[in-house]
Amino acid sequence: MKSINRSSQERKRVFASILTFAVIVFIIMLIAVMNAPTKGGPKVMETTQTYLAEVKKTAVPFLIGVGILSVILGIIAARTVYHVWSNPKKRNTLFTAYSFLSPYLLVTSLFTVGVILFAFYISFNKYDVFTEPVWIGLDNYKKAFMGFVDSTQKDFLQALYNVVWYSIIVVPLQTALAIGLAVLLNSRTKMRNFFRTIFYAPSVTSSVVITLIFVWLYLKGGFINGFLDKILTPLGVTYDPINWLGDPRGLFQLFGFEIKSAQWYLRGPSIAWMAIMFQNIFTTAPTFMIMFLAGLQDINPVLYEVAAIDGANSWQQFKNITLPLLRPIILLVVVLGTIGTLQVFDQVYLATQGGPLGTSLTPVYLIFREAMGSQGPINMGYASALAFILALIIFLLTFIQRRVLERGTEKY
Amino acid sequence: MKSKILVILSCLVVSAMILTACGSSETAAETVSEPETVAESETEESSCPLPVEEGATIVFSGWGDDSEQQIYKDSIERFKEVCPSVTVDFQPIPDNFQDKLKAQMAGGTAPDVFYVDDQLMTAFASSGQLMALDDVMAQAGVSRDDFIPSLLTIFTLDGATYALPKDWSTLGLVYLPEAFADAGIDEPTDDWTWDDMREAALTINETGNYAGFCMGSDWARFAPFAFSNGGRYASDDFTTATLDTAAIKDMATFVTDMFNEGSLVRPADISASWCGEAIGKELVAMTLEGGWMVNTMNLTFPDVVWKTSLVPGGDVTRADVIFTNGIGVNAASEYPMASAAFAIYLTSAENQGEIVKTGFAYSTHPEQIDLIGNVNDKAIAEGGLLPDTLVAYWGPYTSKVNDAVSKALERIWLGDQTVDEAFAQAQAEAQTALNGE
Repeated sequence: MKSINRSSQERKRVFASILTFAVIVFIIMLIAVMNAPTKGGPKVMETTQTYLAEVKKTAVPFLIGVGILSVILGIIAARTVYHVWSNPKKRNTLFTAYSFLSPYLLVTSLFTVGVILFAFYISFNKYDVFTEPVWIGLDNYKKAFMGFVDSTQKDFLQALYNVVWYSIIVVPLQTALAIGLAVLLNSRTKMRNFFRTIFYAPSVTSSVVITLIFVWLYLKGGFINGFLDKILTPLGVTYDPINWLGDPRGLFQLFGFEIKSAQWYLRGPSIAWMAIMFQNIFTTAPTFMIMFLAGLQDINPVLYEVAAIDGANSWQQFKNITLPLLRPIILLVVVLGTIGTLQVFDQVYLATQGGPLGTSLTPVYLIFREAMGSQGPINMGYASALAFILALIIFLLTFIQRRVLERGTEKY
Repeated sequence: MKSKILVILSCLVVSAMILTACGSSETAAETVSEPETVAESETEESSCPLPVEEGATIVFSGWGDDSEQQIYKDSIERFKEVCPSVTVDFQPIPDNFQDKLKAQMAGGTAPDVFYVDDQLMTAFASSGQLMALDDVMAQAGVSRDDFIPSLLTIFTLDGATYALPKDWSTLGLVYLPEAFADAGIDEPTDDWTWDDMREAALTINETGNYAGFCMGSDWARFAPFAFSNGGRYASDDFTTATLDTAAIKDMATFVTDMFNEGSLVRPADISASWCGEAIGKELVAMTLEGGWMVNTMNLTFPDVVWKTSLVPGGDVTRADVIFTNGIGVNAASEYPMASAAFAIYLTSAENQGEIVKTGFAYSTHPEQIDLIGNVNDKAIAEGGLLPDTLVAYWGPYTSKVNDAVSKALERIWLGDQTVDEAFAQAQAEAQTALNGE
């Protein structure tokens, strides 16, 4: 009796794992077929047959690639099911969880994971959306770094250079400003809620609107130049108005260094780029201020009382209590800030379009330009390759930041 | 246990049904609208340029503000009179037109008829998304020779015509007579050379009341200088950049000398966002601008007296630069004949003659230049008919080549590089672009 039971249990396990394997492979292949590259257009979409014929014609390598992936994932899933099957409790949990997750999983894998797979495949192709993708191997990835050998193809390197400066300057400043504001607003001042609202306003406003306002402020005859003129002229300094968003002079050039334009990478961030940085700090700092405020509320006030009794002044309290206890939130803010700064796009798109002389070009703007074909043919393959390189860089930086910042986090 | 498996399976079945349902309903909709017969042109619509599909409804999109949209609404009304069986659904896209059109085209929802510029020509023509119009043009009795010849360069690929020019503009020497009277010198004439212009700019600049000549570091404003000295940005077959030639560098040196002696100013130097605004604000005596100045001056600076003359000439010839856009037809259009008929009608002499009267744009038919009403506008337009005038189009990578020129001028005027260095770099950049790298 027992042995019969066991063998029927065994059969069920095998059957369940085979079924899981088949279902996983089927779903992934269905998603792959729906995301496969085609020439698009209403003619292709007319009937299922014409669409499938088009997919067969243009996407065989893509389907083979995803097919292999789906078999691997299917085997993993089937093994999991096989091991779980004989334990009713685990089995129930697994199936209940996945049946609740299935609508979301299906949509995500179709419209997010499927599209990412597609983009990864396309990054090895020359693809203009309308004609068949042509396999060119690693050429797109090589092209991104061609700037090292051919100075006429420096766009991506310059974009990376710009956004690295952007991160180095913006992240520390906006984090410091956010902590400062949060500490101020956490103290018992009059009209605290009023100030919280006011300080938070720039983050609520759309960044498009703020950018357009700043474009006006930064004009040569604009408010900022007028303000500086008003302040400096009485001090006896003749102020020469600066064309903030149109000045490509780098930070180190301003200190009087003569740097040839062939050595653009020694010039540092340009005036135009720093103007955009300033605007970004203004917009994002309040968002992070809210996070620090939440973190400050969590700190036990007893700690401050004890410190005060021990004779610590408020700076010592801030340095030795507030900052260490905020460390997890600082990590979060620095990581989010770095990711955000490496992906900066809207300010550039609206204010400078990558100019002057490419000093405000960013990787995401370059990806947009190549994908949309605003300067030359549509180059989806190159754009996808740039996107994957950027994703890899962001992943690595986040990983390093976690290792460095988490090491010393206080645990209570 | 079995019931749970059933639940999961039925979930899958339902989701599969939903997916297939999406597909099949679309197919059904397609087949309903499919059977369209091409009706021979009836006697009552004899003036329609082509035999159109009966009851066709076509979608037409373009960019432009309210006044431009009104021009095309009127054109659609006129089209209705000649081809009454076609309904045109006008769907203007005022912002980011090119991005939107590319996305629509990739998704198969692009309009049947739409504006085409060099960017869309690059994206659509070689990939077969635009209908080649030569056959329908022959059928409608329209010839490429009906249009100003240089306009068609953008819209031609491998000998086929993919769009018809809808309008064009060019640059003229725009000036303030007041500034010339103030300096006590004669106003520009149509036989002026760049040297005359420079001399006048210097004299006016010395009075201190007006700056002399306004120009940004812009490939388009530099083009008349370069072209009139026999220079080209690229070879005729669009394979070789020709930016480090003496013809180009001489003129770059010329404008740089003007910049250094102060007779040439950039718009930002005089707190203007562009040179047209500098004229309107009476900050500068001369600049190179196009037909859009008429509207700007009428609307924003109605009290300022301004004039135009032909673009100055160089040592080799007198040449201007042309900007143009066309009307193209979606190759996947459900009603190709109706769409082509509409495109042909929009660009016909009959319709262009009406548009020209509104002062909105120049007709692409050379015989209609006399219809331009405004004196200033007409003087600007004449530059377009000069024999050596060119459309600054160098194939798919045009904007990269042009960008290289603008950046070279910017670097020179910043004092970053000499003319030789800057244009050697521009040449290398443009060549890389033309190589498709």
